[in-house]
Amino acid sequence: MLSIRIENNTPALKVDFRLPMGTLSAIVGPSGSGKTSVLRAVAGLLAPSHSLISFDNDIWTDTETRYFRPCYQRPLGFVTQSFGLFPHLTAAENVGAALTHLPRRERGLEAQRFLELVGIGGLADRRPSELSGGQSQRVAMARALARKPRLLLLDEPFSALDHSTRKRLRVELKRLQDALAMTVLFVTHDLDEAAELSQTMVLLRRGQVVQQGPTRELLRRPSTVEAARLMNFANLAKAEWVDSDSSGITLRWGDVLLKAETGPKSPPEGPIYWTIRTTDVFLVKDGHPDESSLGTILSADVTEIIEMGSSVLVSVIAARGGGELLRLRLRPGALHRHNVSKGSQIRIALNAQSLVLLQS
Amino acid sequence: MRNWRTCIAVLFFWSTGPFYSVPAFANGPIVAAAASIRPALEELSARYNQVTGQSVRLVFGSSGTLANQIVNGAPYALFLSANTAYVQWLVDLGFTQGVPVTYASGVLALYSRPGLLGQTENPLLALGNALEGGTIKRLVIANPEYAPYGSAARAALEHAGTWVQAKQVLLVAANAGQAVQYALEGDVDVAFVPMPLARLAELQKTGHLQALPSEAFPNVELDQQMVLLPDADQKTQEFFAYLQSIDSREIFSRHGLGAPALISPNLQH
Amino acid sequence: MDWNAFNLSLQLAAWTLALLLPIGVVTGRWLARTQTLARPWLQAFFALPLVLPPTVVGYYLLIFTGTRSPLGELIMSWFGVSLVFSFPGLVVASILVNLPFAILPVQRAFEVVSSELYDAAACCAMTPWQTFTRVEMPLAWPGVLSAAVLTLGHTLGEFGVVLMVGGNIPGETRTLSIAIFDRVQAFDPLAAGQMAGFLLLISLVTVALGYGVLEKRDQRKRRSA
Repeated sequence: MLSIRIENNTPALKVDFRLPMGTLSAIVGPSGSGKTSVLRAVAGLLAPSHSLISFDNDIWTDTETRYFRPCYQRPLGFVTQSFGLFPHLTAAENVGAALTHLPRRERGLEAQRFLELVGIGGLADRRPSELSGGQSQRVAMARALARKPRLLLLDEPFSALDHSTRKRLRVELKRLQDALAMTVLFVTHDLDEAAELSQTMVLLRRGQVVQQGPTRELLRRPSTVEAARLMNFANLAKAEWVDSDSSGITLRWGDVLLKAETGPKSPPEGPIYWTIRTTDVFLVKDGHPDESSLGTILSADVTEIIEMGSSVLVSVIAARGGGELLRLRLRPGALHRHNVSKGSQIRIALNAQSLVLLQS
Repeated sequence: MRNWRTCIAVLFFWSTGPFYSVPAFANGPIVAAAASIRPALEELSARYNQVTGQSVRLVFGSSGTLANQIVNGAPYALFLSANTAYVQWLVDLGFTQGVPVTYASGVLALYSRPGLLGQTENPLLALGNALEGGTIKRLVIANPEYAPYGSAARAALEHAGTWVQAKQVLLVAANAGQAVQYALEGDVDVAFVPMPLARLAELQKTGHLQALPSEAFPNVELDQQMVLLPDADQKTQEFFAYLQSIDSREIFSRHGLGAPALISPNLQH
Repeated sequence: MDWNAFNLSLQLAAWTLALLLPIGVVTGRWLARTQTLARPWLQAFFALPLVLPPTVVGYYLLIFTGTRSPLGELIMSWFGVSLVFSFPGLVVASILVNLPFAILPVQRAFEVVSSELYDAAACCAMTPWQTFTRVEMPLAWPGVLSAAVLTLGHTLGEFGVVLMVGGNIPGETRTLSIAIFDRVQAFDPLAAGQMAGFLLLISLVTVALGYGVLEKRDQRKRRSA
């Protein structure tokens, strides 16, 4: 387990979380949220005022006992945003720089092996100034992997690359992680990237953890309004807690009663918020055999239709709801089949399982 | 690889050379002397070597600088000054051994550009006239504040009543040696210079050089004293004695220095 | 031609280089990397010898390390050497006077090594010494060479400090530049001119060689870029 606890003033950080070993974890947050600082603290490049960092029960930083293991003694590899390649060395020599414990001949061979592993075996004699962004990234990756680290840290490794290279490298990262059985911790501001690659996710904002847990969990069930906002949940509405029973929690949203499967059993302090994924809001077709199984059904007026490639985002206002806009995602075909257009009235269904209750 | 090692070994021994040099007296005592008596002393030390087989090392500078160096630990054994004030200073501070001895008397010379003053028995008078007439654009003396030849020059001008006028065209050199240099290279009409240095620079070839009698600058002594310093050893004392011999007297005078006014009781011959 | 004096000048230059370059590298590197607020003051302090007349530096060295001073006495009792009118004294004076030449170019050179590279080296499990030898020095060596060339040239021609601190003792502190001065004082312009010409030639060749090496490196870089 990678255990990270940091308290620091500049940069302002207050985090405390644990990540499972052998998985690919992502730290996600907007710029300035402190993600890079957390990574640097784990790497040993930053010495926070209060901190306890340990990897698989091996303590790396402990301000209580004034213990700080220098970066070069931690079994990790680090790929930074701008790669940090040594300009005076060739690609092979750059990778070799991580292999100072080997004699020169072996160093060259190992370096070549890793360059081939990341797919650029033929560029061994090029200097960083002669490499493209994607190639430099791979050299940096090979260098970080060369010493077979137990922990691999990546700081926005793909942000400087073009779209297609990015996609390709994401796949390769997954492949490498499987092959080398490392723990990988990478930082990104791109939620989609995190969603695609990581098994565990930590949401960070202004130096503090907003939510953390298995990625799928987080993506489906944000715990707070802040988390929902960070994960770009399009639907967010305020409601009142009414009742709780064996089937779930009842809320009042405007004039309607909604049902959520999970939530606080007793009335919470202050207002309660709820969200639902745009893909979980269903368009109710006339003539549906068993409407009651769909959840709460509401009438709504379509206010906006935005076609975005392979899906359509439809904004509606529920007639008797709380007033907040709801958005649902449809396939373009469905749009035309059901004559959905701006101003028309449709019926939507909110399923109790998909409704997520949030604390503020 | 072997080449590298020998290279480095050689380099090492070469570079530490100066650190092996034994204390200053291994090659003969160091004699510090005023720059103005350089030619005389160089000949004297060569003669001394001829006669006795011993050698001394000579260091020249302005009397003031040398005195300062002595006070700060310079490894000199004997000091020949051109300014008695510094010798007295050293005696007062306790940096000397024995009693100072006057080895010679300085001679002040008036140098002038050819044809400027003409052949005359009274060069100072002629100088005064030339100053009145405005034919003198530049007159050089050593700094009267601390160079004895400078204060002698000033005394001479004051005595001749031409100091005020001289000041208008005055150029003050840092020391007597520099006064000679100006006379040699500069656009100088008149210069008051020490005779020995003037002779060395062969000023008599580029202009008119005339010695001034000591009456011309009353109240200024150009006596030159020498004194043994605490580091003086037997060899130094021998050289010290030699400098007071008739031989030395003759060589000094040949270089334009007068005999000492008093015969020193330390005279050995 | 006073070969003894020339030899002395070379030895002085060699010792100054040997002792000052490590000092320059350590100090220049520290100045480049430190964040302390006192940095501009420290830089100004190390640049002082550039603005002080060498004779002034020499004079104060004489006062503070001469045999009359407490420091001078201490050094004499500990090491048995005097720091004035001796070759070791010249070396010390030369080191002090050449500090800016040894520190400034090195500092500029190390400033170019970005902190990103230091981080990367640490993440490659390189110890601080390995980082220094494999990353920092290969990138900063032109600055060190520059410092060496400047120091060498400056020391060969150094006069004011040497005269003050060393006197003019033949065989010990009469370097070539002092010997030239000596000949001028003796109204021997021919000898002075000869030695001066020789010194000029040596200095020119040395500095040109130094810059030549830097040129070649730049050319190589440009070609491979």
